Amino acid sequence: MVKAEPILAARGLGKSFGRFRALSDVTVAFPEGGITAIIGPNGAGKSTFFNLISGAFPPSEGRVLFRGRDITGLAPHRFARMGIAKSFQITNVFPHLTVRENVRVAAQARTVRFALFRDRSAYPELTERAEALLAAVGLGHRLDRLARELAHGEQRALEIAVALAAEPSLLLLDEPTAGMSPEETRAMMDLVQRLAETCTLILVEHKMKLVMGLCRRLVVLHQGQLLAEGSPDDIRAHPEVRRVYLGKSA
Amino acid sequence: MTARTPSRTIDASAAVPAARPGAGRTGRGLALASRHRVALTLAFLIVFPWIAPYQALAANILVLGLYALGFNLLFGYTGLLSFGHAAFLGGGAYGCGIAIVHYGLHPVLALVAGTGLATLIAVAMGALAIRTRGIYFAMTTLALSMCVYYAFYQAESFTGGENGLRGINVPSLTLPGIRLDLLNPTVKYYAVLAVVGLAVWLFSRLLSSPFGAALEAIRENENRAQACGYDVRRMKLVAFVISGALCGLAGALQAIHLSIVPIETMHYSTSGQAVMMALLGGMGTFFGPFVGAATFSLLQDGLTTLTSHWQLFVGAIFIAFVLFLPLGIWGEVLARLRRAGW
Amino acid sequence: MSELTLGGFPLDLLALQVVTGIALGAIYVLVGIGLSLIFGLMNVVNFAHGAFFMLGAYVGVFLYGYTGSFWLSLVAAPVAMGLLGLAVERVLVRPLYGRGIDDPLLLTFGLSYVMIEAVRIAFGLTGLPFGAPPELRGGIDIGIGYFPLYRLFLIVFAGLVVGALWLFIERTSFGLVIRAGARDPQIVQVLGIRISRVWLAIFGLGCALAGLAGILAAPLQGVTPEMGIPVLAEAFVVTVVGGMGSLAGAVLAGLIVGIVVAMTSLVAPDMTKMAIFALMALVLLVRPRGLLGRAGALG
Repeated sequence: MVKAEPILAARGLGKSFGRFRALSDVTVAFPEGGITAIIGPNGAGKSTFFNLISGAFPPSEGRVLFRGRDITGLAPHRFARMGIAKSFQITNVFPHLTVRENVRVAAQARTVRFALFRDRSAYPELTERAEALLAAVGLGHRLDRLARELAHGEQRALEIAVALAAEPSLLLLDEPTAGMSPEETRAMMDLVQRLAETCTLILVEHKMKLVMGLCRRLVVLHQGQLLAEGSPDDIRAHPEVRRVYLGKSA
Repeated sequence: MTARTPSRTIDASAAVPAARPGAGRTGRGLALASRHRVALTLAFLIVFPWIAPYQALAANILVLGLYALGFNLLFGYTGLLSFGHAAFLGGGAYGCGIAIVHYGLHPVLALVAGTGLATLIAVAMGALAIRTRGIYFAMTTLALSMCVYYAFYQAESFTGGENGLRGINVPSLTLPGIRLDLLNPTVKYYAVLAVVGLAVWLFSRLLSSPFGAALEAIRENENRAQACGYDVRRMKLVAFVISGALCGLAGALQAIHLSIVPIETMHYSTSGQAVMMALLGGMGTFFGPFVGAATFSLLQDGLTTLTSHWQLFVGAIFIAFVLFLPLGIWGEVLARLRRAGW
Repeated sequence: MSELTLGGFPLDLLALQVVTGIALGAIYVLVGIGLSLIFGLMNVVNFAHGAFFMLGAYVGVFLYGYTGSFWLSLVAAPVAMGLLGLAVERVLVRPLYGRGIDDPLLLTFGLSYVMIEAVRIAFGLTGLPFGAPPELRGGIDIGIGYFPLYRLFLIVFAGLVVGALWLFIERTSFGLVIRAGARDPQIVQVLGIRISRVWLAIFGLGCALAGLAGILAAPLQGVTPEMGIPVLAEAFVVTVVGGMGSLAGAVLAGLIVGIVVAMTSLVAPDMTKMAIFALMALVLLVRPRGLLGRAGALG
């Protein structure tokens, strides 16, 4: 099989906080399309890795490549403009704006950032786009609510709509189901599956079971290092992964 | 790189006041009022001299209202608390005054000169202050405005130094086809209102624009706005400069209105006055700055007739507002109307 | 006499001016540390810090008039301001935790108006003259020339206070809590300590340091109700130059500011005030996080 160029690649990525080494020498490539999950037990360095590849902070060493282009250390808004969107682990929306305005203002960031004296209503396509996206994530009935009035699961869905508004080719999700009820979790995973039809998804997940059935590839981190990568079947069979992740049952 | 405020006790990203009256599910009455906010504001300001205690005070309030309005763009709509806006009010006032006293410019050109000088100061101050985040912004703007204060204080041959800039006499205003007698307080009020009205209209356009929407997004959640693709630092700088220009225009009008620019115009306490007016009136509301300016001026006016220590009461009242009425007078009125389903 | 000169000034004079700068810097250090402590731990900018400085000076000067003992004033001013700080935190600032980060700032800003005006009512508008106490008047030869004894005392005394503070933070269990709390308030709660108690104590300590700096500064300039306003701005400069809530940064920046002031007053006396802010502008351009700024860097 001919290997296509990866959409995102990490080369020798590492991060230290003072003397604490959170991540060291991770080299991994993410293929275009489908879902890749980054898993690992608590403290494995998943969130650090996520923050590095999403540009939240710069790495101590190593590089991040997007479609072969070096994007290490670029400002967060540059990431967004290149087509990389992200959803944070902690819910991160615009609390006192309406649900519709949350997504509209995000969609606007692509095209009309510095229009100072035209009216917002001069761009009906942005509003339409926002409403369509909100319908897609199941928030079509909440358009005029303030974001902070939504339930936790709804806020996460809203956040994903906000991220999608930028029409990304790559969407990064940090623990999209954290703190959710079982029903909310199921709805979110359905949504994630649907999203994978339109863009590449990389998600960090704590619960391995949740992602096994969905994703094409898995990347396993352990103690700040890359432990294994491969298809769900590969990972399931991987002796090291079984030992550290699934317990002593190997 | 952007200096990050350590997010500790009170997370900076969660630092959104309890309720913003600017957003929300608005009833039909309030939505209608919001759509015609410029017309309603102007209508009020047109009748205001007839309900104010005396007309000179009305013109004071008008100018201070514009000052608070400009400040509110930054504080109420962008979420940046500046303690250095006196530099812009003063810059506008001195720029206008110097243009008239030293260069004999036409008052309208002097207004432009004043606004221009304030804008330049805002660019310089903003470029430095925007490099800090969160709560550092207040400290940095305060310190930088003190620097501007001392610079104007020292440049005595231009600014009159400690004595202030005197002799800004504009008895009349000659425009093509019309001559306005500015010694008549009523004429003067409406001449000032013409300029303020224009600024209010521009301000409203700005708020309704996509840029205004982006500013609110930055206020609500800076990190998220950045992740959406907004160059937050640049947008903040543009907001800072526009805010400074509006305050500079207010200063230029004030110089003509008072015929003098006291050095105190640039002082820290004048920066604090903008903060007080914005909070008393209601930050992030369109009409709040004028309510705040009126409240502050009437308080000052009323209290000084009773005691020379009026600042004691102003300070205490301000503390009470922070503790018990953080939405301000107009913000509270709007919140109550909204709850009542208007 | 030395023959060496630099920029037209004898080296001896320059050296003396540096020592003068360190003496001035001692005041900035104390004010800056107080502000940084409160800010670093509580993320609260105390806009009344200058007012506490001023009120501390007044309390000290007032007591001196009755007792004639500068040493008593030196104890009473910080104690009084510490107690007032405790009351302010408990009654006014505490209700604001959990609200916007700007709210405590706005509140203390209003408080500074009340404090300044209260002093005007109690002591008049014009201020009080105050000189160094008799036992600290005159000068002594420090090898490079005669130096005012009081300024030398300032350097030594502020050095002792900073040293004691350092020991307190590094060596005591409460200091451990302070250091942990500066990194992450949740850790403190995990340790089973009520963070609100820590904040209360820190606010009081910060205000006490402001009051101490006030009475120490009084012999240099006398006291006026407005004396705290420029000090507040200068303390902000110290904080910004030193770096985000860093105590070591506040010490370093305080001394640098003092020396810059002393040197500028030699070269261009009119520019002294502006030099402070030019320094801050420079630091913001080159190193916006401050000289020793790093998240959670205390001590």
